[in-house]
Amino acid sequence: MLDLNCKDSVILNQWHPLSSLEEINKGVVHKTRLLDASISYGIDDEGTLSTWLSNDHLKAGQPYNAAAITDPLPVKHAHGYLWTCLGEPPETLFSFSEFYESDRRNVPTGVFGVHVSAGRAVENFLDMGHFPFVHTGILGEEPHTEVKEYDVEVSETRDEVVATQCQFYQPQAALASKEGAMVDYIYRVPHVNCALLYKSSPTDESRNDVIYLFLQPMGQEQIRAHTGMCVVDDMNSHEDIRYFQQTIFGQDKPILENQYPKRLPLDPRAETPIRADKTAIAFRRWLSRKGLTYGVIPVEA
Amino acid sequence: MNENLQHWYPVASSNDLPLRHVYQGQLWGRELAVWRADDGFVNVWENRCLHRGVRLSIGLNEGRELRCLYHGWRYANRTAGCTYIPAHPADAPARTICNNTYHAIEAHGLVWSSVEPMGDFAVPEALEGQETLALRPIPVKAAPELALKHAATYRFSADGSAANDTSVEAKEGGYVLLSADGAQMMLFVQPIDADRSVLRGVLINPTEDHLALLRYHNSGLSALRDVIESDAAKLPTPAAIEVSFSKVDADLAAMPERAKSGPKAELRVTVAQKWLASDGVMGFRLESLNEQLPTVQPGAHIDVHMPNGMSRQYSLTNGPGEQDHYTIGVKLEPKSRGGSECMHNAVQTGDVLAISAPRANFPLRRDATQTVLVAGGIGITPMLAMAQTLKAQNLPFQLHYFAQSEAHLSFRPILDDLGENLITHLGLSPDETGVALRNALASYDYAHHLYICGPGPMLEATRKIAGDQGWPEEAVHFEYFKNVNTIDDSSSFEVALARSALTLHVPAGKSILDVLQENGIETPSSCEQGACGTCLATVIEGEPDHQDVYLSDSEKASNSKILTCVSRSKSKRLVLDI
Amino acid sequence: MKLYDYELSGNCYKIRLFLSILNKSFETQTVDFYPGQEHKSPPMLALNPLGQLPIIEDEGKVLRDAQAILTYLAAKYDETGEWYPLQDPDRLGEVAQWLAFADGITGTASAARLHDGLFYDLDVEAARAGAHRLFRILDEHLWFAEQAGQSWICSGNHPTIADIACFPYVILSEEGGISRQDYPAIRRWCDRVKRIKGFIGMSGVFPTSAAA
Repeated sequence: MLDLNCKDSVILNQWHPLSSLEEINKGVVHKTRLLDASISYGIDDEGTLSTWLSNDHLKAGQPYNAAAITDPLPVKHAHGYLWTCLGEPPETLFSFSEFYESDRRNVPTGVFGVHVSAGRAVENFLDMGHFPFVHTGILGEEPHTEVKEYDVEVSETRDEVVATQCQFYQPQAALASKEGAMVDYIYRVPHVNCALLYKSSPTDESRNDVIYLFLQPMGQEQIRAHTGMCVVDDMNSHEDIRYFQQTIFGQDKPILENQYPKRLPLDPRAETPIRADKTAIAFRRWLSRKGLTYGVIPVEA
Repeated sequence: MNENLQHWYPVASSNDLPLRHVYQGQLWGRELAVWRADDGFVNVWENRCLHRGVRLSIGLNEGRELRCLYHGWRYANRTAGCTYIPAHPADAPARTICNNTYHAIEAHGLVWSSVEPMGDFAVPEALEGQETLALRPIPVKAAPELALKHAATYRFSADGSAANDTSVEAKEGGYVLLSADGAQMMLFVQPIDADRSVLRGVLINPTEDHLALLRYHNSGLSALRDVIESDAAKLPTPAAIEVSFSKVDADLAAMPERAKSGPKAELRVTVAQKWLASDGVMGFRLESLNEQLPTVQPGAHIDVHMPNGMSRQYSLTNGPGEQDHYTIGVKLEPKSRGGSECMHNAVQTGDVLAISAPRANFPLRRDATQTVLVAGGIGITPMLAMAQTLKAQNLPFQLHYFAQSEAHLSFRPILDDLGENLITHLGLSPDETGVALRNALASYDYAHHLYICGPGPMLEATRKIAGDQGWPEEAVHFEYFKNVNTIDDSSSFEVALARSALTLHVPAGKSILDVLQENGIETPSSCEQGACGTCLATVIEGEPDHQDVYLSDSEKASNSKILTCVSRSKSKRLVLDI
Repeated sequence: MKLYDYELSGNCYKIRLFLSILNKSFETQTVDFYPGQEHKSPPMLALNPLGQLPIIEDEGKVLRDAQAILTYLAAKYDETGEWYPLQDPDRLGEVAQWLAFADGITGTASAARLHDGLFYDLDVEAARAGAHRLFRILDEHLWFAEQAGQSWICSGNHPTIADIACFPYVILSEEGGISRQDYPAIRRWCDRVKRIKGFIGMSGVFPTSAAA
């Protein structure tokens, strides 16, 4: 066992994202925070990845030499990211098959620090009701504020929360169109700190673009949010996709940073859910059943 | 029990609260959203929307309601009750969705509050009846006790010259009273958190040049702040106060809420004003005897229990945020069975009446791209509430008001404020009314909604014209005054209650509601004649015999809902979700 | 006119906001500032050797630095002459004084935001403390302006480019962990700025309610 401030085995025994593989400068030591601990990582020209608890011998910016790492942490590279674990690593990471389809473009749209708990940020990602108010003119617009009935289930086999048949009115739903239309969404929460959104592609209705949010809990109330998109079309440039995603994320940020309390309350009577919040209710219950305590306010016994 | 929480403290200056602004405050670790409504009322609320915890201090003060930035939930002035949830535009929010509020008293240029007050607020004796001037507040990064200790060392002079000997005349838990050559000031310490405070000074009988005094004390108190902060920096920073958040109503956490009230009269109001609102219509302004009245949503009605033992339903005309009273209009019915006659003649200003809390069975959607309101006669009352709501939010609407004559137009002051949104139709024959309605309802489009309230024949005609001109049923909303159908209660059948696991026999001559209530099943009800919708129940199995005027035709045809006060069963057995 | 622009940049927002208030049309070229670091690329360095945004190109003129661009735009396109009062030395001096103050806000509040949001390597505690020092000064200044019946940073009854230059990194300060709870006069001034005709927000800046 490592000597860490975080004692919550539920969160320790998870794979956590540290960086998009595309964005790691080769040959130097990088430093970040995970679960209140300082973590360093690096990749060399051969592609050898390591992560370790930061020490004074290998400071950020110094040359990285994989052979010099005496106490490496578990490492996984998957879905375009470097993942590590501070406890017992699970055998597998959740599936994200679209990422590996050869005709797709995977566009990391940046990593952002936010003063909020991971649970609050995931919940915001799963929420449609705020579109007209927070993403006005982009993902929603008054007076089209209704959240229609949709389905939620917690898949026992895959241990994930899935919301289907979600629909919301989007102004200028397609680039070519000035008209608004209903857009279909599917949400997946396959990991306590990761969520995926599927949305039909503007160029091929039969396929979905995927927007992902992988959260790295730096502390209980501070996160690094790794965002990106996995798209079918070639209509939009990397820059367009980044501009879109960063605009959306920037709009959510002040909301997230003004949630009070910052940790996600799991007691069903802490806040007031409505039918539109079915996914969030299922997510909170799911976290509660797992016994998570890190970054949340657990239900009092 | 922390005694400090029981004291009253100044938490804001009056000039911190201009119209259409939300002030962010804090007291003993509890964050506050403080805002002044357009009617002058000062609201001190817990700084979080009960939905998802977003600070209300980043919300929008729209004058009568505060809107949360995250999902657009609206909360009423005074009550903090939720009046609208945009994600579910067709539903009226449960009455129990209400933000946590604190007391607020405005006096001597300050707003005072307390976390758990013991007793009423009393103006500190030294300020009582005096001319005062509130100084610029000075936030200090220091524990309240430390700030208070230093507050007693503040030195000043009466006229802004060099500081004189200042004596401490009194020192209490939250303030010091200081005097220097005859001039007096109170220096309050508002506890923000364990390590933060605000110094709030009030000058007593200040000299003429206020601006000079404000500047003089601003530099004096800023210098004092620097001393306090350098002192505080030598001490360990105390841990922030842990705030516990009260839980929401258990019914809300489980989501599908069901009002437990029967035909109850839980509120007592006094008739503050009674006036002739138009020819034959009496207006009543009802004010609470002591408590805050529950939140009003547009289209809501109340039951009024009269001195003669009868009870009647009346729609509220209140606009958004008007929470210090309820207003109703009562038309004197020539064939009155005693209700309107009693209200017109027996009830007088100053009388006390028992009323129910408002029930929102005729909710207003606010996601329409165009709303058409049609009122006939006294049917104007719920429409006035709706029209004022739409107007306040700047949403597009028209109110068509059909009345006998100019003299029959009720509540003129409200009508006058509606401007071009109001279209009156006076003294029309039934045929002319039909023409006017056809014109008013000529252009249906997606997300248009129609609301109708008026006498039965006019309501029927309007529904028919709307249907003929392409208005889908779900876009047409109506409220009958009463159910004029003759109720056939000759059938007998069984009712199975799925949730209560109980099967009851309903004999001829008794309603389902009667039988439920006889068997101790809590069921809300109000008009008990199939008009208001309060006793609505969900049908799981069986074919209802609908006799109400509340449900729409397609709702009736779907056999999924029933009004238990008048409707019965065609099948031998009816399974209800009760 | 072309603006080299990045949506999340408060300095770029100053220009978009002011052009919107002036009702002046312009085109933007989005620069992949983050994570692409495009503002440090050779073509961008050719336009601005400091490697910073915003930059404008207007009728052949290339200009960098948000405060400089605001000055240029006001002097050239503001028909009221109020936003940059060239004819009034007292107010002009005040504008210059507060434009320099806006640079101070950028150096502190914006730096803290870059540290917390985009992981810039800098002393964030010093940046936050610096921002609080400036906010105290601004709050006191605005409080006394209100007492004198004035709404804006500089004297007179009309806002100036000093308000535009100070606003963005004040309103975005929470992203750098700088609360504005202790600055009620600043919070009220932010509402007033949001009610200037032609106001637009940016990602992270929301409109406020209509005035009474």
